[in-house]
Amino acid sequence: METIWLYQFRLIVIGDSTVGKSCLIRRFTEGRFAQVSDPTVGVDFFSRLVEIEPGKRIKLQIWDTAGQERFRSITRAYYRNSVGGLLLFDITNRRSFQNVHNWLEEARSHVQPHSIVFLLVGHKCDLEAQRQVTQHEAEKLAGAYGMRYVETSARDAINVEKAFVDLTREIFELVRSGDIQIQDGWEGVKSGFVPNMVHSSEEVTKGSRQCFC
Amino acid sequence: MASQVATPSSLQTPTTSSSTSLSSPALSPSSPAQLSPDDVELLAKLEEQNRLLETDSKSLRSMNGSRRNSGSSLVSSSSASSNLSHLEEDTWILWGRIVNEWEEVRKKKEKQLKDLVRKGIPHHFRAIVWQLLCNAQNMPIKDQYSELLKMTSPCEKLIRRDIARTYPEHEFFKEDSLGQEVLFNVMKAYSLVDREVGYCQGSAFIVGLLLMQMPEEEAFCVFVKLMQDYRLRELFKPSMAELGLCMYQFESMIQEQLPELHMHFQAQSFHTSMYASSWFLTIFLTSYPLPVATRIFDIFMCEGLEIVFRVGLAILQMNQAELIQLDMEGMLQHFQKVIPHQFDSGPDKVIQAAYQVKYNAKKMKKLEKEYTTIKTKEMEEQVEIKRLRTENRLLKQRIDTLEKGQVTRAQEAEENYLVKRELATVKQQSEEATAQLERARKTIRQLQQQPLAKGPPRFSEESVLQLEKELVQARLKEAESQCALKEMQDKILDMEKRNSSLPDDTNVARLQDELIGVKLREAEALTGLKELRQQVRDLEEHWQRHLARTASRWKDSPKKNTLSELQDELMSVRLREAEVQAELRETRQRLLEMETQNQIHSNQLRRAEQESRCLQERVQTLTTQNKDLNVQLQEIKRRQAEIECKSKEEVMAVRLREADNIAAMAELQQQISELEIQKEEGKVQGQLNHTDSSQYIRDLKDQISELKQEICCLKGQKGLVSQPTFDGIHIVNHYIGVGESYQSSDDDGAKDPDLQSLQPRSGGRIRLRAKLEDTDSDEEDGDALRLSVPQSKSTTV
Repeated sequence: METIWLYQFRLIVIGDSTVGKSCLIRRFTEGRFAQVSDPTVGVDFFSRLVEIEPGKRIKLQIWDTAGQERFRSITRAYYRNSVGGLLLFDITNRRSFQNVHNWLEEARSHVQPHSIVFLLVGHKCDLEAQRQVTQHEAEKLAGAYGMRYVETSARDAINVEKAFVDLTREIFELVRSGDIQIQDGWEGVKSGFVPNMVHSSEEVTKGSRQCFC
Repeated sequence: MASQVATPSSLQTPTTSSSTSLSSPALSPSSPAQLSPDDVELLAKLEEQNRLLETDSKSLRSMNGSRRNSGSSLVSSSSASSNLSHLEEDTWILWGRIVNEWEEVRKKKEKQLKDLVRKGIPHHFRAIVWQLLCNAQNMPIKDQYSELLKMTSPCEKLIRRDIARTYPEHEFFKEDSLGQEVLFNVMKAYSLVDREVGYCQGSAFIVGLLLMQMPEEEAFCVFVKLMQDYRLRELFKPSMAELGLCMYQFESMIQEQLPELHMHFQAQSFHTSMYASSWFLTIFLTSYPLPVATRIFDIFMCEGLEIVFRVGLAILQMNQAELIQLDMEGMLQHFQKVIPHQFDSGPDKVIQAAYQVKYNAKKMKKLEKEYTTIKTKEMEEQVEIKRLRTENRLLKQRIDTLEKGQVTRAQEAEENYLVKRELATVKQQSEEATAQLERARKTIRQLQQQPLAKGPPRFSEESVLQLEKELVQARLKEAESQCALKEMQDKILDMEKRNSSLPDDTNVARLQDELIGVKLREAEALTGLKELRQQVRDLEEHWQRHLARTASRWKDSPKKNTLSELQDELMSVRLREAEVQAELRETRQRLLEMETQNQIHSNQLRRAEQESRCLQERVQTLTTQNKDLNVQLQEIKRRQAEIECKSKEEVMAVRLREADNIAAMAELQQQISELEIQKEEGKVQGQLNHTDSSQYIRDLKDQISELKQEICCLKGQKGLVSQPTFDGIHIVNHYIGVGESYQSSDDDGAKDPDLQSLQPRSGGRIRLRAKLEDTDSDEEDGDALRLSVPQSKSTTV
């Protein structure tokens, strides 16, 4: 039985190596936190359904990418077919914050003529004592790029749902307003379907009742 | 795609019987018949190898670790016993022989070698066989290894972070384990040797597998060989171009051999890189559990990357039916969850299938060329696209500027038009003005010419001038008069001020009235006087006339005499009346004068009274002020007296404290001298006892220095200003025991020499703790060397 979803959005998660992309996604899709896990070699794939409003479900297909720079040649191919993205940096690693600019350039240059809706995410916010990036400056950067900013922690499950749901909502609004359109051959947004099978049995019984009178 | 630790599979000994450990070439009696000189040789060689490996210092640790914890091979050394199954024994023997005759086998019996490898290398032989297969036996780089470890690599941080994530569930690579350390070493060493590749995520898995089989240095050499000769280096380079090529080649293989699946993949936009990148980068080590992956790795060592293509295609073939039914997401989940466990029972199936796959080396080469041309074209296109994009951007900018230019020009045209219109109107106005000017000039000239004919106009000019002059003069006069008026007004104001400054201005009016009244009266009096005088003169004239008449009328009758006597009396009475009136007037006059003087004097008196009243008031205020000041003065005097008293008391207290301090100091000095004596004793005893007297002396010296410090503190305290609150004779001394000397005493907790905090204590206390009571002191005779003096001297509460 297929679940009923309005749309299917494909998201891509990018950022420096070891900022916690795989952890965040795993926390979101599998509800668990793994202290150690393999480094992503190439790309990994996850999916989950979110309900942004009662009755409105969106299916999220999430690509988890390798952070090391040389893997960009592989991950490049995945930008074009994504409609949304989470740009992660580690708040305890200043370098990863400085590289946000590079990731954005990378994504923008490879996604044309489409565009990706990004969300800036400051990860590992549970490690407050080792923070090297203030919330204020991250918000400023996000504002300059025209995107929102969220601080998350996969370990303590802080804002993980919020990050994905907020991004989904943003994309949903853009789809509804027509700024993002479903196109043939573009995998970023796919429209779902509401099968009639759910009602068919009811109709049959109604019909049969009618027959009685 | 995580690696798993699975139970060892095909290499497990089926027998569960107890194993006899092999320590000597002596064989168990279970299979004596199969022994041959070859076996003896084999076993001897095995032992030799073992010994070689064991003598390698580095290998000791990793050997134990790898042997014990490798999931790919059986652990117990009992597998070396002759309780092996026949098949395995044969294999072992065979392998032993191969190892010994490696060069020959390599050259002549290549095919057989390949087949044997496909069947799997026995785990004990892996280390040596892998090294042989890639010719990593006597590499010069091995000697550089220890040097490389001392250097720092730019990739170190990156490697560190990834080490913890490599084979995380594997025993050997647990956190802070030996495995992680050696893995780090090899990765670092390689990153230094091959600066172009540096460190690539994923290569750690291959090295990890190598480390499970062999020690560091060998693993390093094998890895170097792998990178160089087995295309791995190209795969891991920063450009990762080779990976793209492998994908391309693999895809074409799928297209050729599994066309339906290929079409399905296309339809679902299921790219090869989505599942196959890690196959090539890690040779299935992240996709399959170690037993399976190690078998594949055996073949990889022998035959190269080709096996990845074969196995990959075999996997797809085996799963084709399921995959075709799934969409992209389903397929990915299938790859993630189902496929890793497909070969838990044994990899033989997939390996056999792999060898059914067609692999055409020539075709691969062709594909390579195709791929490079495609890539170069793509690059060129990319460059072209970028160029076009920048051109586009520049053109757009130009359009923007041109549009802006157009807009500005339109605006300018409008402004121009407006300006022109304004100009026209202004011109018109100026023309009109000039026409008027002309007309005016004409009239002027006419008027100027006219005075030659008529006179008054000329005069009128002169009269106008005169009138103007008169006007000016009149205005001047007016101004002067106004000035005069102002002056008068000022004078009046001054007068008024002066008048107002007089003390009794209310009387001024009265005085003036009085003055006027007085003057009036005077005037009246004077006029009265004049009238009187006039009357007197008249009367005198009358009298004179009368006398004259009477003198002439002397001859008359006596009748006329009485008349004249009566007239004379009348005249005299009238004279007397006049005189009396004159006197009356005079007296009245004097009365008036007296009254005026009276008033003047009374005014003066009033003024004087007022002045005296003011002065009295001032006197009163001054006296009150005086009283206040006196009161204040008295208070201050009182306070001063108090303060003097207090200071005297404080001085007393300080002197007392000084006295106590001196006493304490004397005691301390005495103790110091005693301690020094003891120190000498201790020294001697130490020398006698061969004990560590220096420790003792050091302790004593520390104590002495402590005491001296405290003396200094006390000396310092002498100079302290006394504080207002004090307790009479209480002076408490603290000694802060260094280190472990706190015991159950109460006041050891207070550490600052503030006197106030010690008020509850009574009596002076001096306490010393001997450091030698410390239980940590070593081989000394405890009692003999402990200080007994302080305890007897200390007075406890």
